[in-house]
Amino acid sequence: MAESNALSQWLMSKSIIATVTAATGLVAAVIVGLLGCSSKQQGVVIYVSEDQVFSEPILRDFERDTGIRVMAVYDTEEAKSTGVMNRLLAEKNNPQADVYWANEPIRAEVLKQQGIAATYRSPSAQGIPANFEDQQGYWTGFSARARVLIVNQAIPDKPKSITSYANPASNGRAVIANPLFGTTTAEIAALFILWGDEKAKAFLADMKRNNVKIATSNGESADFVASGQFAFALVDSDDAVNRMKQGKPVELIYPDQGDNEPGCFIVPNAVVLINGGRHPEAGRKLADYLLSRETERKLALSDAAQIPLHEGVDAPAPVRKIETIKTMKTDYALVARKMQEIEPLLKQWVGY
Amino acid sequence: MRTRRIILTAVTLVLGIVGLAPMIVMFARSLMGDGGFSLEGYRKLLTTERSWQLLGNSLELALLTALLSTLVGLPLGLLLGKTDLPLRRVFVMLFTLPLVIPPYIIAVSWANVLGPQGLAAGLWGEPTARVIGGLLFGLPGCVLVLVSTFMPAILLATLTFVRTVNPGLEEAARLSARPLRVLWDITMPLIRPGVLLAATLVFLLALGELGVPMFLRYNVFPVESFAQFSAFYNFGAATAAAVPLAVLTFVVLGVEWFVLREKSQALRPVPAGGATMVVQLGRRCVCLFGLVSVLCALVVVAPMLSLLVQAGSLGAYLRALHAVRDSLLHSLLLAAIGATGLTVLGFFVGYLIHTRALPIWRAVDAGTVLLFALPSTVIGMGLIVLWNRPSTNFIYATPLMILLGYLAQYTALTGRVTVAGLALVPPSMEEAAASAGAGWIRRLGLIVLPLLKHALLSGWLIAYIFCLRDTGISMLVYPPGYDTLAVRIFTLMANGAPDLIAAACVLMIATTVLPLVGVALVVRTQGRRPWQ
Repeated sequence: MAESNALSQWLMSKSIIATVTAATGLVAAVIVGLLGCSSKQQGVVIYVSEDQVFSEPILRDFERDTGIRVMAVYDTEEAKSTGVMNRLLAEKNNPQADVYWANEPIRAEVLKQQGIAATYRSPSAQGIPANFEDQQGYWTGFSARARVLIVNQAIPDKPKSITSYANPASNGRAVIANPLFGTTTAEIAALFILWGDEKAKAFLADMKRNNVKIATSNGESADFVASGQFAFALVDSDDAVNRMKQGKPVELIYPDQGDNEPGCFIVPNAVVLINGGRHPEAGRKLADYLLSRETERKLALSDAAQIPLHEGVDAPAPVRKIETIKTMKTDYALVARKMQEIEPLLKQWVGY
Repeated sequence: MRTRRIILTAVTLVLGIVGLAPMIVMFARSLMGDGGFSLEGYRKLLTTERSWQLLGNSLELALLTALLSTLVGLPLGLLLGKTDLPLRRVFVMLFTLPLVIPPYIIAVSWANVLGPQGLAAGLWGEPTARVIGGLLFGLPGCVLVLVSTFMPAILLATLTFVRTVNPGLEEAARLSARPLRVLWDITMPLIRPGVLLAATLVFLLALGELGVPMFLRYNVFPVESFAQFSAFYNFGAATAAAVPLAVLTFVVLGVEWFVLREKSQALRPVPAGGATMVVQLGRRCVCLFGLVSVLCALVVVAPMLSLLVQAGSLGAYLRALHAVRDSLLHSLLLAAIGATGLTVLGFFVGYLIHTRALPIWRAVDAGTVLLFALPSTVIGMGLIVLWNRPSTNFIYATPLMILLGYLAQYTALTGRVTVAGLALVPPSMEEAAASAGAGWIRRLGLIVLPLLKHALLSGWLIAYIFCLRDTGISMLVYPPGYDTLAVRIFTLMANGAPDLIAAACVLMIATTVLPLVGVALVVRTQGRRPWQ
């Protein structure tokens, strides 16, 4: 009996030790497997600031058409769409990405200034207007958003210019996304360049005096207008189109289209090839794919509702062709530098 | 003894490399600026009005969450643990559900109910929904979500600790007092330390919570820290923003240790045969049953139902499954490996703390708890600073980064479960085996591990849930092409279709709950209650 107990205890201890050893071995094997998941494997690594719901189908199509596996890192709204750009900055000396799909060219300019971008002139970029690409080839723009006014249909006197924010008649009726982040920062920096510092500062002061509401994002601004809480907001064209598709009582106005007016601020996506990327050839193929007319057509037809920059690419209403919009003359390199310069002022303005 | 010392020292070293080193490197980095030593981040932190506002917001949210969770969870725990209320087990399971779901999913589901486009708008009209939505997106909404998420922790603590009360004391009091008086005068003082401990945990969890305040747009320090890193790429400011949380955590843990050091109850086996006092509710039963049912419907069923309604058709689930399939597999694999690693590490850490085998056991205990309480984004940033270099790219560029984050943040959980389990093992058993000449490894295999198997399984499950629901660490460090389901849901929220997001959330809930249901069924066949 005692021998039987000793044997069963011995077997129990052996089985537990065997279980623990097997579990540890399994974990070790899987970890070794996971270690093999490094970006060295065949494929291409892309960091994406464009919304995943719009960008992922394009990347899946690329995988299907070329057989090259895409490994992506996507941004989140909560990181103000700068999370992956900052990841690229953090990885400057240890680059993981081959391509960066920026949702506006300012981030591409920052990467150029930091020595993270590589030069590449894609054959697919032929036909894209020169003001939407870097002169030295560090980035190339494609499929753009316009900065537009979303206006509630119930408003009788519809604003036609962004200067309506400074109009006393707009007191308490306007909303704008936090100018510390995203395309709103870029547009304000562009206005500082266009108007000069004094006029732009006066504009910001007038906005504040007019009790403009600061929303957390362009999407929230658009929702405020759609629900009738505010009369108008300056947002990205996709935010406005999205609400129109949802049947909300809003309309989209391209601002400042008059003869003596500066035109509408355009925010193209941008493709950047990363310096020291591990898969340069696949990276170039992906860049060519993103800059193609076909990708622009897909992004125009999707809910992203983006404006093609190649002339003659179909765009469904209410997306307008780029050649029919009066656009603001913009040097995105200057805008990138101006954004950094005015950041303390904007923080003060927001109360950050 | 030598083997034990070597292995426990090695475990301590692993914990130091995994958890402590990233924090040290990150802190050092926060003292650098413009190529030299700088305290700019800290100067700004102390001198700007916004910092104090954030501190106030963080404290307000954490205090309100802990207070309301206790005010609801404690009576509910007594009602479900000490009375004859019908369907007690069903209620316990339902109320526990939000605890195992990522808090931001609860926030999404509440937004589906109370948001401007939510069910409330359909019921009461847009103007009313706008007012309610205004409350949801701010402090009241954050408190609502976090209370419904963390209240079950108080409930479970109450259920656990009422069963550790000596039935003899209650029976003796019953001779001269009514049951409610016994509950108030005997049971409550005895379970107070345990409930206070749980309330402290809830306070710390709410203090470090990122996803909910970020989604509901309420500015607190974890959100600030995340924004400073992700949006401004300012390590100094990001770390500085995390420092008040670390200090607060230290203070709270210090107070908890000071207040409870003499009062902590040792867990003891549940008495057989249900010997604990049960209060007969009598005529009040119907009324209390109705009250608990309404609370359950409001706090648990309504938000869950809203996700199901929002997801709508089977097609949405199929599309969601197609969209998140890879992320779901990544999550399951990482959560399973992470939980296994955490169980192993937690076992040795718990053993070290319980036996005090090394002089630094108290530092190990405090270190794991501090890492658990720190915002996950801080740990994520620390890992990036430490491992992002060409020589360690074999770690940085792989999902191992996520696993390191799990080990750093959640070892306290499995460690504490091990400590609780070891408290039930009489030390004489291991001592007898040692006297008989059994080595340490043999003693572990022969005595300790078999006796701890239920505790280790519980620890594994808890670790699995926390790994699965992790957002902060995964969002910062996931390698290209290896996102987790929690991260995927967050990225889908930017312009994703609401039905798709709701369906993905339901999949997430199912992934979390199904293993628990399986274990609950197995445990039930053994005649034990799931929360044991």
